[in-house]
Amino acid sequence: MAQLIDFPLKAATRAGNALTLPLRAAWPVHSVDDYGRDPHLIRALTPFAQLRWSVTVGGVQHLPANKGALLVCNSRRYSLSAVYAALALSDETGRPVRFVGRPDIAPIGPFMRRIGGLLATPADVLNALSHHELVLVAAAGTSHPRNAGKVPHELIGPAVVAGLPVLPVATMSSAIGRAARVEVGPAVRPRRKRRGPLAEVELADEVQHHLQRMLDGFGGVQTGVAPIDWLTEG
Amino acid sequence: MGGELGSYVSAKLEAEPWVGSLVGIDVDPPRRRLRKAEFHLLQPSQRERIVDVVTKFNPHVVINLSVWEPDARAALAHARQFTADAATAIIGAAAECPALESMVVRSGIEVYGRERNSATRPTETAPIHPTSDYGEMLANVEAQAREVGRRIGIAVGTLRLASVLGKHVPSPLGRLLRQPVVPFSLFADSPFAVIEDGDAARAFVLAAARRLDEPINIVAPGAITTLQAIMRGKRVPLPMVGPEWLVASKLSHVLGAPIPGHVVELMHRGRLADGAKALDVLGFSPVLSTPEVIDHLYAWESVVRIGSIQEAVA
Repeated sequence: MAQLIDFPLKAATRAGNALTLPLRAAWPVHSVDDYGRDPHLIRALTPFAQLRWSVTVGGVQHLPANKGALLVCNSRRYSLSAVYAALALSDETGRPVRFVGRPDIAPIGPFMRRIGGLLATPADVLNALSHHELVLVAAAGTSHPRNAGKVPHELIGPAVVAGLPVLPVATMSSAIGRAARVEVGPAVRPRRKRRGPLAEVELADEVQHHLQRMLDGFGGVQTGVAPIDWLTEG
Repeated sequence: MGGELGSYVSAKLEAEPWVGSLVGIDVDPPRRRLRKAEFHLLQPSQRERIVDVVTKFNPHVVINLSVWEPDARAALAHARQFTADAATAIIGAAAECPALESMVVRSGIEVYGRERNSATRPTETAPIHPTSDYGEMLANVEAQAREVGRRIGIAVGTLRLASVLGKHVPSPLGRLLRQPVVPFSLFADSPFAVIEDGDAARAFVLAAARRLDEPINIVAPGAITTLQAIMRGKRVPLPMVGPEWLVASKLSHVLGAPIPGHVVELMHRGRLADGAKALDVLGFSPVLSTPEVIDHLYAWESVVRIGSIQEAVA
């Protein structure tokens, strides 16, 4: 009688296993990390990312080996610089680099969380930094690839609170070509010691200046007309 | 003391050298053999009897585990009623005990809610903003305990547990994941964390021993999405988009695994929390990670034949 009752359950399980067996072979069973980042998915997507970006990474010696740090990159509008920079730096350092700025709406939000995205909120950034993670924040997007936009001081605050270094990351990519560059600069130190919120405001300005200097140091053609300059980047 | 978690906590408390005598109240008899503990079979609505038992015993520490998760052992309306009644009776009775030094209350990470742009891994300092019925029930229990603690000047520790799973724990999430065909959200398959019942019980014992006086998240390390859990358990994933959830939840209810609101929220919006403070304050570190708890869930067998118990995942 017990076998009779169990039969439909066993039949359904057997049928389900037969249906999902090929999928399982292609998609090994994994879990995600504490923040929802899925290293297996990232590995699976890497060839597709490499079709779009061929990234040259420099300056990784500035990144702390074990401790957390806040990285700030410049961003040309619609270039997804935070995404490719985070993926390239993760690949280079062997540590997960989490980028800030995933939307909290399906389907793009959950997908970006799986590839290492955090919400653009101080709470999320502080939480990751306090667990010694590398977190990448993008400056405000600009139309010109060599202009560093305003650095959001509210997202710099968590690094000040956690007492962790803030490093500029200059990124450069072409709108049409694959070549992209990611250069990590040395940690930015605030000029003055502040006790209050001015610390992060001044540090954000300082990081923007450093980013701009790094972008200027990249060289290349600068006509002042954004679409023409895009063609020569990368 | 009668539920799976309550029995587990009682058994662990009996083994503690600092525990002299132990009294428990529940609607079900204990599920484990208890040697020292005195048990009273009482309904949450029997407030006067509960007050009588608690005040006569005059404990130094009260642990309130009497939380009914919706669709675990009772439907939402009953779960809400039982939880509110039990909290009123037990916390109220505890306040009348002159020897009371500390109270530990069960809560859950559902109290943080999952509204848009809420923290991915809320710490204990995150605002309480429940977005599910279960979250609201837990927030009410926390508020009552805090208020009593403030009025009579005792330590009130709150353990905010992730979804408690175990081989024999009545849990709507565990029950759903063990179905042969399990629905998951195709476009919002978000990660969640859980805690094993044995680990949760250990956290309560530590909190009671240390006279905890703050909220602490109790979360197993790691996270998993519903699809990953389904794949680990070798179940058939059933992708869902939008309104199909309504049909799926009704069907699942008929098949014996109702999907309450907080579980739907967990599957769509995820549910993580930062459990680092538990190690700092209680010295508590979960034995099992979230993927391991899920594996143990699937190692559960419907018929256990003595002599052929296999712990390996089926």
